[in-house]
Amino acid sequence: MRHFARLWSLAIVATFALAGVTPSAFADEAESSLRLRGFGTLGTARSSSNQTEFIRDLSQPQGISNHWSSRIDSLLGVQANWQATDELELVGQVVSRYRYDKSRDPELMWAFAKWEPDARVSLRGGRIGADFMMAADSRLVGYSHLAARPSPDYFGPLFFSYIDGVDASLTLPLGSGLVRGKLFAGATPEKTSGTPGIWDTDGSPVSGIVLDYLLGPWQFRANMAQVRFASDIQFAPLPGALRLYGANTAADALVSDGKTARFYSLGVIYDQGPLQVQGMLNTIDHESGVFQNSHAGYVLAGYRLDTITPYVGVSWWKTRSRNISTGLPADSVLDMTFNAIMAASAVDQTTYTVGARWDVYANLALKAQWDAIRGTAASVFPFQHSKAGWNGRTDVVSFIADFVF
Amino acid sequence: MRAFISLLILFLALPLSAAAADLVLIANPKAGIAHLTQDDVTNIYLGRYRRLTSGVTAEPIDLPNESEFKARFYRQLVSKSLPEINAYWSRLIFAGKTQPPQLAGSAEEAVRMVARRPGALAYVERPHADARVVVVFELAN
Repeated sequence: MRHFARLWSLAIVATFALAGVTPSAFADEAESSLRLRGFGTLGTARSSSNQTEFIRDLSQPQGISNHWSSRIDSLLGVQANWQATDELELVGQVVSRYRYDKSRDPELMWAFAKWEPDARVSLRGGRIGADFMMAADSRLVGYSHLAARPSPDYFGPLFFSYIDGVDASLTLPLGSGLVRGKLFAGATPEKTSGTPGIWDTDGSPVSGIVLDYLLGPWQFRANMAQVRFASDIQFAPLPGALRLYGANTAADALVSDGKTARFYSLGVIYDQGPLQVQGMLNTIDHESGVFQNSHAGYVLAGYRLDTITPYVGVSWWKTRSRNISTGLPADSVLDMTFNAIMAASAVDQTTYTVGARWDVYANLALKAQWDAIRGTAASVFPFQHSKAGWNGRTDVVSFIADFVF
Repeated sequence: MRAFISLLILFLALPLSAAAADLVLIANPKAGIAHLTQDDVTNIYLGRYRRLTSGVTAEPIDLPNESEFKARFYRQLVSKSLPEINAYWSRLIFAGKTQPPQLAGSAEEAVRMVARRPGALAYVERPHADARVVVVFELAN
């Protein structure tokens, strides 16, 4: 049955893709209310370390190490927009990417109705994008980003791509610029790779607010979002054993069900002529003791020289240890296991990025990028399968082809 | 020989560039607007805000990528190349946000669309702006 479902999904994707690239099917977009489009990335990357696996974000169960791999960046997506009336539009988007379960099964990313009764108001309901990026809601459309991938230091912990819910936005002129406010609420239907196994966050309520101010080449953003996890990460039988020995504080720290994570961010973009600079700061606070609280930031700057845009960037991600103790002997299995879990969400690293984007055709961009990750040996959360010899330093080289059609 | 060809190309190109008329933004007379600012036009064409001061919803019209006017329009409006404009729209389209401007096959068709719809706006060379439409913005060269 599962095999059949996969074949069926692939068939749908193939049909969409073929329809999208067949000129005769929708040649006259101005006359047709149904539009099919697609996007994709073919990428290969490798790091300099065989002591850890570099991943794009925490949803990925395996990453890349010191041999070339197309695993983390390659993807294909198709999107259908149907303008039902002047005010009502239906949008569906399916993406095949490397997922939490190591498959590339097509996944319904967006499926929503958008109602715009007025040019100032937009209401959406259904499966909608989680609006974390400043320049785009989708972190998967590489063509729309300057760098090879959104900064893993900044976006890595944000494993939600979409929510089932509603959002409402209002745009109004203010001064000589525009102010836009957006509220969203819903629940995540997603799963993510966890330690250990898969963490099913299905049904976790998500809500937030986004405020943007656009003034000429400037965009300013303040964003707050929160998620209340609806399930525990499976650490059994550890919590029960800790309680048995009276280590209740430690056992409580392993609870994530009912605990809220809050995300706050500030951002700015300056985009004028050939120059674009963007920077963001965030802080993430967890009620659950499983995750360390963190703060992160990035700055990325590019300057276009005809079709080639060289860019440089720096990003950082640091967490604060919670110093929770079991009170049990340091050489006991319980204490060592608990401390290992507490240390698993530690991050302390800075990444320096140099790259270039070449816009070969109007719909194709090639990118080459070098990331130098400089962190401490304790910085393991951004990676998968770190080994004892991991020293916090690795270099990642990426070659990417991003396209839209 | 190569120098001669370069010179020839230069000579052929010169009269063309000299002959290129200014680009203007045209609107339907029923749109209820006499003038738009550069910020207004930028907000409309980049899909940030499409409400005209008269309350009419603006419906911007684009020309095909191959059109020389299109490249010139975006260069003069926001100093952006077409790949940058395409990347910008892929961000918004694939986020399920605003739709890009409607596409006209030619400048003549763009003028017809503006003449037909009260909210429609298009960029054309000044000689194309006939009596059916009004000029609401002039692009700086």
